[in-house]
Amino acid sequence: MTVKQFFKSNAFKSLAVLILIVLVAGALLAIFNDLLYVSDEERLSRSLAKIYGTEVTAEELELTEEERTYAYGSVNAVYFVEDDGNYLFQTTGTGGYGSGGTVTLWTIVACTGTAEAGDLTLTGIEKVVYDSNNGQTFISNLNDDFYAAFAQQDELVAGGGYFTAVTNGTDDLNNIVAGASKSSNAACNAVNTALACFRTVFMGGAA
Amino acid sequence: MNAKLKQYGKIAYDGLITNNATFKLVLGTCATLGMSTSAVNSFGMGLSVTVVLLLSNVIISLLRNVIPNTVRIPAFVVIIATMVTLLRMVLEKYIPDLYDSMGVFLPLIVVNCVILGRAEAFASKRPVIESAVDGIFTGLGLTCALTLIGIIREFLGSGSFFGIQVMDFKIGFFTNAAGAFFVYGICIALFMLITDQADKARRVKKAQLLRVPAEPLPPVDNTAVQATEET
Repeated sequence: MTVKQFFKSNAFKSLAVLILIVLVAGALLAIFNDLLYVSDEERLSRSLAKIYGTEVTAEELELTEEERTYAYGSVNAVYFVEDDGNYLFQTTGTGGYGSGGTVTLWTIVACTGTAEAGDLTLTGIEKVVYDSNNGQTFISNLNDDFYAAFAQQDELVAGGGYFTAVTNGTDDLNNIVAGASKSSNAACNAVNTALACFRTVFMGGAA
Repeated sequence: MNAKLKQYGKIAYDGLITNNATFKLVLGTCATLGMSTSAVNSFGMGLSVTVVLLLSNVIISLLRNVIPNTVRIPAFVVIIATMVTLLRMVLEKYIPDLYDSMGVFLPLIVVNCVILGRAEAFASKRPVIESAVDGIFTGLGLTCALTLIGIIREFLGSGSFFGIQVMDFKIGFFTNAAGAFFVYGICIALFMLITDQADKARRVKKAQLLRVPAEPLPPVDNTAVQATEET
């Protein structure tokens, strides 16, 4: 086949059309990506608005790699919420379903005092909001009641305790959902990670 | 003009009922089962697929004489993937809640059989307006079916209706995959039953309209026969 024959062939036409379609599609996506770009700040303000219901001002706090990793999971980000003086954690809890199954949650840790004055005291969990998961098929079984239960156990939290995904025999603790026990475990670990980080880094104690 | 409208009507009816993607053709089952845990999610998924169907059908129909037959499938996939990526960007920017709730099922629209199926079977052979009508009504048929399954599963599984709590009881089975298959199967059975009955009724009516009213037969003249017997 000569060069001239190649350029007149169906194979060349097919290739040219396909390449043209790909180029136009790529250009279109590039333009729209620029127009519809969602910045990290916008993402954060959306998350905060979802958690608090209103717009709040929060300052991200720096953590070292060591301060981010705990037996329960890891801290992705921590913010000091200037409006109410509480700390907001985004943490990923391990121990979910499957190998490497995790649940990521937002946890508002309620406290009194300030870290600067050295009188910071943990009083409880104000709110827990679901963020994302990895490999948790039954995550939708963890309903609002499940997340609300974390905020109803101030005594446990103020007393230095951690959450476990088991009933305590009296059914007082609602930190487990039947049919999603592994996801419940990972969710508990995500909240525990926030508590461990707060106690270790900001209160200066041992986890 | 009237014939055109009639044809669009037929395409619309086919998309909604006769070739309903979910209940009749059983296409896009992965998204149907995965996204139908709540009515809002189902409705959002249905509308997303409708938008992609409409856009991809129109573009493929416009390019039907340009795209060589040998590369039509890769070309269709590139077009559909572009439309889905655009939709993802728009949802992430303007409807983040829906974007979050759809999760992995949003990019998976690319491999939804309904879209590639309509591109290959319809849009690549028909004019633009017909393809657009087909895209809209096939998408709406899928949206209605998905929303119906979502309403049933949400009501039985969570005791709510479009997110509003209406009942105290919850049957966890319906929020699971097994419950999704169960509801889907029941819905398909009911849809087939209703459409079959309607079809039967329509055929009977048509037959009755076509039947010529029976006229009384003229009295038989036996005189010739009697004459023959006598001879």
